[in-house]
Amino acid sequence: MAKLVGDLMHPGILTCKPDTTLGQVAVLLNQHHVHALVVADRDGRPLGIISDFDLLAGEWLSSDSESLTTMRRLTASDLMSHPIDSVEASIPLTDAVNQLLEKEISRLLVTENGKPVGVISLSDFVASIAQPENPRREVVGDAMSDAILVCRGKTPILSAARAMTEARWRSVLVVDAKGKTLGVVSSLDLLPFVKNGLDEKLVVRDVMHPALTIDINASLREAADKMIQNHHHRLVVIDQDDPDAFPLGVISSFDIVDRMAHPKSVWQTTI
Amino acid sequence: MTNGSIGMGKQDRSEREKFENELKRILKASDDSGILLRVIGSLAFQMHCPQYGYLQAALGRAYTDIDFAAYSRQSKQIQGLMTTLSYAENREVFIASEGERSIYDKADGGLHVDIFYEKLDFCHAIYWKDRLEIDAPTIPLIELLLEKMQIVQINEKDVIDTIMLLLEHPLGDHDIETINIKRAATLCANDWGLWRTTTMNLDKVKQLTYDYPQLSSEQKAKVEAQVNEILTRLEKEPKPFAWRLRDRVGDRVKWYKDVDEV
Repeated sequence: MAKLVGDLMHPGILTCKPDTTLGQVAVLLNQHHVHALVVADRDGRPLGIISDFDLLAGEWLSSDSESLTTMRRLTASDLMSHPIDSVEASIPLTDAVNQLLEKEISRLLVTENGKPVGVISLSDFVASIAQPENPRREVVGDAMSDAILVCRGKTPILSAARAMTEARWRSVLVVDAKGKTLGVVSSLDLLPFVKNGLDEKLVVRDVMHPALTIDINASLREAADKMIQNHHHRLVVIDQDDPDAFPLGVISSFDIVDRMAHPKSVWQTTI
Repeated sequence: MTNGSIGMGKQDRSEREKFENELKRILKASDDSGILLRVIGSLAFQMHCPQYGYLQAALGRAYTDIDFAAYSRQSKQIQGLMTTLSYAENREVFIASEGERSIYDKADGGLHVDIFYEKLDFCHAIYWKDRLEIDAPTIPLIELLLEKMQIVQINEKDVIDTIMLLLEHPLGDHDIETINIKRAATLCANDWGLWRTTTMNLDKVKQLTYDYPQLSSEQKAKVEAQVNEILTRLEKEPKPFAWRLRDRVGDRVKWYKDVDEV
């Protein structure tokens, strides 16, 4: 049966008042890790939507102190898009996709019998097409992460730490201009700076450790063996035929444990 | 509309001919030297409006200088040409404008020549990259119109030139003896500020036309119809996100550059 909008939407609506300033909207978006808020009146009736992209106007138009003062006084109701494009929860997802594509918008308010019940956004659709987990547990390629966090050697440590925090990764791969692996910076490499304080001039090249590599077709057992023998939490996955090319991914101890925890894995069947 | 008196006043035929003849002399010399100079300003309107050009004198619109559009790659050749024609350059203007403008004065005749390279950049920038080859001896008609419409503090002289242009030429989607409103729509859809000033001034032209007793009822109606058609075309042009976002902020943030008369 075709999936419906209601199956994919985010239930509930994050709102702000019409007189919320752009600065306050920015704080709310950041706090809730969302890209947009519904602007609602005192009775909770949606008036419009304000997104992170709308907020860019604040920086874009603040070319001098006078315009900055004006922009700081603007509120959500001044910059919101309205009327709000909405969709009923009971319609097929494909109809919602068509609406987003036709109107070149990023989100729709979801209603049930005309009453707002949630929001469906581009992120929800991306999540729906994300590659389903591969239950196979044979080779490194089955378990590795192939979308990875990467930076260049001259990246400041502060930037790398921020990227790791935001992406919730415990390491960042360091590559040269052509994509060849130079090393890895892990949480452990950064720990001394928590104790001793950070020299802001330091870049990742100063603190990275050599990368341990493994071929994509190696078995998970080989990967686990390499991690244990070298006491490394992660391995850079490469193509043995082209070892200097940009890496294919990263496999970590967590990826292997994740495979083990999968309901269909041998570790979850009764003996 | 401001009451600026520059460009307004009685000017006898011999005085007007002095400007027109000097313009022809410069144009011939530039043509002979392979230099692309295109007339802008009051003389351009006069040259491109043979039927309604009489309105300038009739409504008290006077010539004050000779203005040209040019490409900066020819600025050195232009400097040589103007020297040959007995003009002295005010070099400070060229340096202060970072090569975007030259001013030349003719010692004996009191004539003043202003040359704008690559663009006219007053309240809004009107660029003429690849546009100077399209018409001769003036810039294309739509650029003539936008030259006037980009002025936030529009003067009576600018309104008179615009009225002449709108009476003389049809509107369309090309540049051949036609005011290319397709180009105006594209430029205004990509620049909210230019759209704001242009539509504001078109409305002013429409209203002020009715204040001139020298114009017939048919002429006034024609100007109004032309303005309405341009406004409709600008309105219908699809606008990108940036334009729509800027529109939400509106006049609360200044949308034009202040201009100092040189």
